[in-house]
Amino acid sequence: MALKTTELKEIENTIVKFLREEIGPLLKEKAGTKFDSYKDKANDVDLVTVMDTKIEKMIREFLAEKYPSFEFIGEESYIKGVTKISEKPTFIVDPIDGTLNFIHGYPFSCTSIGLTEYGKPVVGAVFNPHLNQLFHASKGNGAYMNDTKINVKERSLVLQKSLFAFEGGAERTDAKGTNFDIKMATLRNLLSENSAFMHGMRTLGSAALNMCYTATGEVDVYWEGGPWAWDVTAGWCILEEAGGFVAGGNPGDWNVHVDSRCYLAVRGGASLKEQKAFVSEFWKQIPAPLKY
Amino acid sequence: MTVNLLQIEEFLCNLALKKVGPIIKSKSGTQKNYNLKTGSKKVDIVTVIDKQVEKLIWETLRSEYPNFEFVGEESYIPGETKVTDAPTFIVDPIDGTTNFVHDFPFSCTSMGLTIDKIPVVGVIYNPHLDLIISSSKGNGVRVNGELFDYKSKIANMGELILNKSVVALQPGSAREGPNFITKMKTYTNLLSCDGGFVHGFRNLGSSAMTLAYIALGYLDSYWDGGCYSWDVCAGWCILKETGGIIVGANPGEWEIGVENRSYFAIRGTTDDTHQDKKEYIKKFWQCVEGKLDYN
Repeated sequence: MALKTTELKEIENTIVKFLREEIGPLLKEKAGTKFDSYKDKANDVDLVTVMDTKIEKMIREFLAEKYPSFEFIGEESYIKGVTKISEKPTFIVDPIDGTLNFIHGYPFSCTSIGLTEYGKPVVGAVFNPHLNQLFHASKGNGAYMNDTKINVKERSLVLQKSLFAFEGGAERTDAKGTNFDIKMATLRNLLSENSAFMHGMRTLGSAALNMCYTATGEVDVYWEGGPWAWDVTAGWCILEEAGGFVAGGNPGDWNVHVDSRCYLAVRGGASLKEQKAFVSEFWKQIPAPLKY
Repeated sequence: MTVNLLQIEEFLCNLALKKVGPIIKSKSGTQKNYNLKTGSKKVDIVTVIDKQVEKLIWETLRSEYPNFEFVGEESYIPGETKVTDAPTFIVDPIDGTTNFVHDFPFSCTSMGLTIDKIPVVGVIYNPHLDLIISSSKGNGVRVNGELFDYKSKIANMGELILNKSVVALQPGSAREGPNFITKMKTYTNLLSCDGGFVHGFRNLGSSAMTLAYIALGYLDSYWDGGCYSWDVCAGWCILKETGGIIVGANPGEWEIGVENRSYFAIRGTTDDTHQDKKEYIKKFWQCVEGKLDYN
């Protein structure tokens, strides 16, 4: 029994209000204030974890009260190899996405709350309180940034004329064939005048916000390997509702899931045919598959 | 000549807020017909709005400060235009033109003034975020008109250490050749766990916004080549007022001018002797592989 469009909208509205009133102000107040303790690594990781855990707990308790029959997966409570996304309605939550930005006070940290049903994103809300940008959507109800409907203008989608979001990621082993090596080789191909020669690259340091900026069409495409389901679920729903398309980050991977860990997100404002042709062109720039 | 720098800062802020900003905001993402500045380079973009806005700024400044010189991105003539010792407005009407074309909300206007080739006034306005950062020599920095308490911010940021820093990097429009290769190799060295192993890198696609963000304490440093004086002049003044410094992108370039074309900007710290910054710079320079050269 699938949730109805009206039910999804009610869930979306509830999450949006909660993020704006309860979670956003907390994130905004604490960003950039943890740096001092960061000097002491062991101590600081604890402090960031404290914030992450605290916010996740607030969200989990709020959602459990409102939607007691739904399941919950959060970054902090996730157990590798054990936690699985079921067919049931499941909240997938990142209390603080862009943790490094949060520590440094770079104004691109956010909270990401998504809901999947049958493993597919059906509600998403991402709030960056620093820039006061709350992106939200639910299946069949369109996508919004704050109160404005996201309406990506119809325009051609051509690799060379595109702006792409790219992240270096945390994995930095510089040896032949590592994910880091493949990412840097791909970056070079995307930029080089002898290859894709794309308009430009942007790096925000938050997977959830990269998805949202792709949803609004401010960037045309976001390619990444390494994120987890909680980094992308909410943004994925927003992107799809804004006409965007998600493929796998590795060549040939058309059947991507929220926990695939490797994604290629393309903006709306173009037909599915154009989006798929764009994806195929993009994949040619990737010299070898990323492995997770 | 006595020049009231604070008055000029206020004048530029008004110009940015009232005249330039609204144009950038309303035209962002609407320019399908852009030109390519360097012909063959398909990523070096200029729009008709850049030219209009520069004309507007130039005319406004000329009527208020008729004796000052003016250097603007759109009126610049390679090999001819030089920054002199005279008071000179150095202006990028729209910094982050690619952002402007794509409606990525980090295009801005950047207006600076040099005297004796030193940046002494800087105003950067991003109308999408409605964020204006301004400064003049000796007068501190203002964010949306309010004096910015950079000392508290810096005190909260802790030590400046390469492998704990977030660095801004921009590939730019040269996409093959020695400068591009130097950039790609240096990025790899900076990120690699066997190299600088920086915490992360960020790219906003606007030199002016990046310098402003460093001054605000959001980023630790910014390494780039290929920019021009108008990309950095305003941000340089702002950064310097918060205790930050700018050196060259290549190892050993401790003293550079606004026309250097390659730059390495470092945020302010509590160490006024700059010793910690010098250590940071030396470590960073060890990751630079090759040489950025735009002459």
